[in-house]
Amino acid sequence: MRTPNERTLLCIGAAAALLVVGALVGSYPAYLLGLAMVNVIAAVGLNLLVGNSGQISLCHSSFMAVGAYSSSLLASGAGLPFWAAIPAGSVVAAIVGALLGLPARRLHGIYLALATLGFLQIVQIVVEEFADFTGGVRGLNTAKPTLLGSPLTSYGVYCVVAIVCVLAVWLAINIKRSRIGREFDAVRLSPHAAQALGISVARVKLTAFALSAAYAGLAGGLFAILVGFIDPNEFGIAASLRQLTYIVVGGLGSIGGAIVGAALLSGLPELLRPIKEYTDFAAALVLLGALLFMPHGLASAWQRLTPKPKATWRGVPA
Amino acid sequence: MPASFYVQLAIAGISVGSVYALIALSIVVPFKASGVLNFGQGELATLGAYAALVLSQFGLPYYLVAPLVIASGALIGLMIERALIRPVIKAPAFTVIIATFAIGLAIKSAIALHWGDTPYGVAGPFGDEPLVFNGLRANPTSLWIVLCTVAITALVGGFFKYARPGKAMRAVSINPEAATLMGIRINGSYRWAWGMSSAIGALAGLLVAPVVGINPEVGGLILRGLVAAVLGGFTSIYGAVIGGILVGLLETFAAVGLGGTVKNLAPFLVLLLLLAFRPYGLFGSREIHRV
Amino acid sequence: MNTFSSALRLVAVLAVFPLSALAQQNGVGPDSVTIGVFGPISGPASYIGLAGRDGAALAFKEVNDAGGINGRKIRMVFEDDAHSPARAVAAAKKLVEQDKVFMLMSVGGSNATAGTIDYVKEKGLPMYVSISSAPAVTFPFARTLFRGGTTETARYGELYAEFLREHYKAKRIVILSGREEYPRNEGDATVAKLKEWFNEAPAARIEFNVGDKDFTPQLSAAQRANPDVIAFFGNPAEAALALRQARDLGVKAPFFVGANIVDPAFIAAARGSAETAKGFSLVPVLPGSRLPEMVQWEAKWKREYPNAPAGRPNNFDLIAYADAYVVTDAMKRAGPALTQDSFIAALEATRNYKVNGLATARSFSTKHHIGNLQLVPMEVRGGAWEPVQWSSTHQSDILKRYE
Repeated sequence: MRTPNERTLLCIGAAAALLVVGALVGSYPAYLLGLAMVNVIAAVGLNLLVGNSGQISLCHSSFMAVGAYSSSLLASGAGLPFWAAIPAGSVVAAIVGALLGLPARRLHGIYLALATLGFLQIVQIVVEEFADFTGGVRGLNTAKPTLLGSPLTSYGVYCVVAIVCVLAVWLAINIKRSRIGREFDAVRLSPHAAQALGISVARVKLTAFALSAAYAGLAGGLFAILVGFIDPNEFGIAASLRQLTYIVVGGLGSIGGAIVGAALLSGLPELLRPIKEYTDFAAALVLLGALLFMPHGLASAWQRLTPKPKATWRGVPA
Repeated sequence: MPASFYVQLAIAGISVGSVYALIALSIVVPFKASGVLNFGQGELATLGAYAALVLSQFGLPYYLVAPLVIASGALIGLMIERALIRPVIKAPAFTVIIATFAIGLAIKSAIALHWGDTPYGVAGPFGDEPLVFNGLRANPTSLWIVLCTVAITALVGGFFKYARPGKAMRAVSINPEAATLMGIRINGSYRWAWGMSSAIGALAGLLVAPVVGINPEVGGLILRGLVAAVLGGFTSIYGAVIGGILVGLLETFAAVGLGGTVKNLAPFLVLLLLLAFRPYGLFGSREIHRV
Repeated sequence: MNTFSSALRLVAVLAVFPLSALAQQNGVGPDSVTIGVFGPISGPASYIGLAGRDGAALAFKEVNDAGGINGRKIRMVFEDDAHSPARAVAAAKKLVEQDKVFMLMSVGGSNATAGTIDYVKEKGLPMYVSISSAPAVTFPFARTLFRGGTTETARYGELYAEFLREHYKAKRIVILSGREEYPRNEGDATVAKLKEWFNEAPAARIEFNVGDKDFTPQLSAAQRANPDVIAFFGNPAEAALALRQARDLGVKAPFFVGANIVDPAFIAAARGSAETAKGFSLVPVLPGSRLPEMVQWEAKWKREYPNAPAGRPNNFDLIAYADAYVVTDAMKRAGPALTQDSFIAALEATRNYKVNGLATARSFSTKHHIGNLQLVPMEVRGGAWEPVQWSSTHQSDILKRYE
């Protein structure tokens, strides 16, 4: 593949390109790009849990909610600047993710899926009940991010999102190639063999949940400053299912697939604007078509089209 | 609190739980037979409800509408299986689930496009007047739902135990290779499973229509059905039905005792607690699940 | 390294100082004026946005056919917000920056509209909110934001509290509300006004969830509280189910329903159990009424939209239609030199304007932008919504905030 230096340069180049593009296009396309990048961060995180570690989560959007609400509350309540509040929100989400990972150790398959679904309901209800803090069902105006005293413009927010997105992807690539990533693969391919080799499956599951929750929390915090308004509906079961479709269409286990899947599918409603009220139906058909023709995702379709000699072993997505 | 109050609540809980039980049944059957979790099952109930609407708008009486809805449910299920599930069955299990979810989405948005969000109603088979007995009141449709659920459970259970195709399906779910060696056609087994589960799903929509109304959100029942199925242990038919009744009773009594907020949580909390001690539900068996 | 550091500096500057902050006179040409409309036409609330869009479009078309506004034709551009604040911001940005609209009109839900407010204020563009009752539109006062057809949430509370007390003479009021935003607000506002004006609390406040298919527990709990009246806040489908189950359970208390339930669809879905239910309506005459003016209006609507599903036109068609006329009327009075300032001034000069007998009158002022404080009490009699002879005598507190 590529050397670590090449990968880093590629990421810096991508960040620069994104910054330039954002300055050239208007604020509407930049806003859409920002939303797509938020979804990319969430999808990459979910992929670590579902694609690489082989777990199931239907509550990924709840971790986004935790990140979004805690970073907003820290910013407006405790006066934290956005560059501290958002990472703090991500840490809170990671802790919550670990808390979920603890009991989830013993569960798998449909049972794990339902447990995460239950967790999603709990988060929804908590947000709605503590309306004095979270705004409840009426939603919350999030704090405006400021730099050196003056508020960020929409381009400024875009830059923040772009830089964080590239960093998050770079980190995910490195995680995948590290020992943690290999432990994820081992647990996915054969938990029994992994346990026999001395890898604590329970610890790996916990790490996977916490890490994916951290990514989701980061995405949530960025979403909050990008849109400026959050409500519990944005983080419900529909959002979780959408994020799952991003990584399934992209190709489970593949970071590039998650990026492309998230960018394409989250941009789909905007592309479908011309057909007005038929967007829901068309989007469902597009999704179905993608799954029928590329059941293993865009990433493996891409691999089939561009065969490379297998010089190095790569973690093959399931 | 007079005992009749609790009995009244129990009647409500059982009747609401029967609907959940039917949905749970329609999820467990194809899972047992082919390992596919059909996330679009809720939308098949919605289809059943709207089919009932269309047929009753033609003026057909209930005893004709019901079998027609069941038949069309089965037919649609078979078509979906042939056209959309068969191609992706070799894909990772996750992809198949998302595919069923996409099918459900397509059905729901098509229905919403044509009929809009207007809530429709259809009369129950025995009228709307409540039956009063000894101070206890019950809607005849609710009782009819419970009766049908019991009947269908018995039918399905009997089918798997005694009928040839049913025994074949059990063989396939235990060991597909051995079943093939015994001359059982796997594709046929899958078809039966899908046809049956879609028929049950459509029937659930038909039964529920006079009580709940006909609108595109009927499919939301699938979440409760899933909880019911898991509670009962995902591969058990009787477990699914018992799970459904339990969820219905839980919701009803939790609403009275604890207030509306916790009511939504109650089935999940119980589920989480149960899974902490019995990871395979009440009646589930220790099998390795593909999901 | 030089170019790199100057590029970094450029990015840092752009991050804090916007390139163009000048308000331009967008959207007004010599023979056209562009109006941007947004609302949900996909997702769970599509019945609101579709009706809002169609009602407004019909009104604009009629104005164009009659010669336009001071010689300019109206060009309406509609964008979907899918009932989500994130998508609503996208819709607003597209309308303002790509379609260069003169003003925005929202026919969307509350959270979606609330999400766009910061952006709209930043751009200094007039926005007329037809259907959403989000409080942030009118309070704190914003020069460019107006609310038309829907009334303030607090006003619901005022009218409901007074009606429950004075009309029903109710001592024991039970409130049964859904956990969604609109019904919850109705419930909260009613409780607040019952306390503030009459120093009373409801005998019970019971909640149910979205997607509940059985109200037996809530209705039994309500019965135990021995109510004189049960106030139900939710959506028409839930209300129909609740009223049918109430009849099954033998609940004797009469029902009072929220404003969005005052809809012919509710009566149809409730199949006979809706009789004697009362509620306040945002429109003085409901679609389906046999009043000649309504019959004519519906015929006109059906000619324009022959393929619409049953149940249309609905209340939202009516409200958006009336509000579109408020907007065009103000534009006409702003004169040929149409600017955002002259438009806002003309809106603020609106006094008791309504396009026909099927709308409530709208008034604005320079101090507040609340167009409508009127709701019409109605009752289900003989299978249809008919007006109730009752008017409020308690002075409203709402405008006091703006003095």
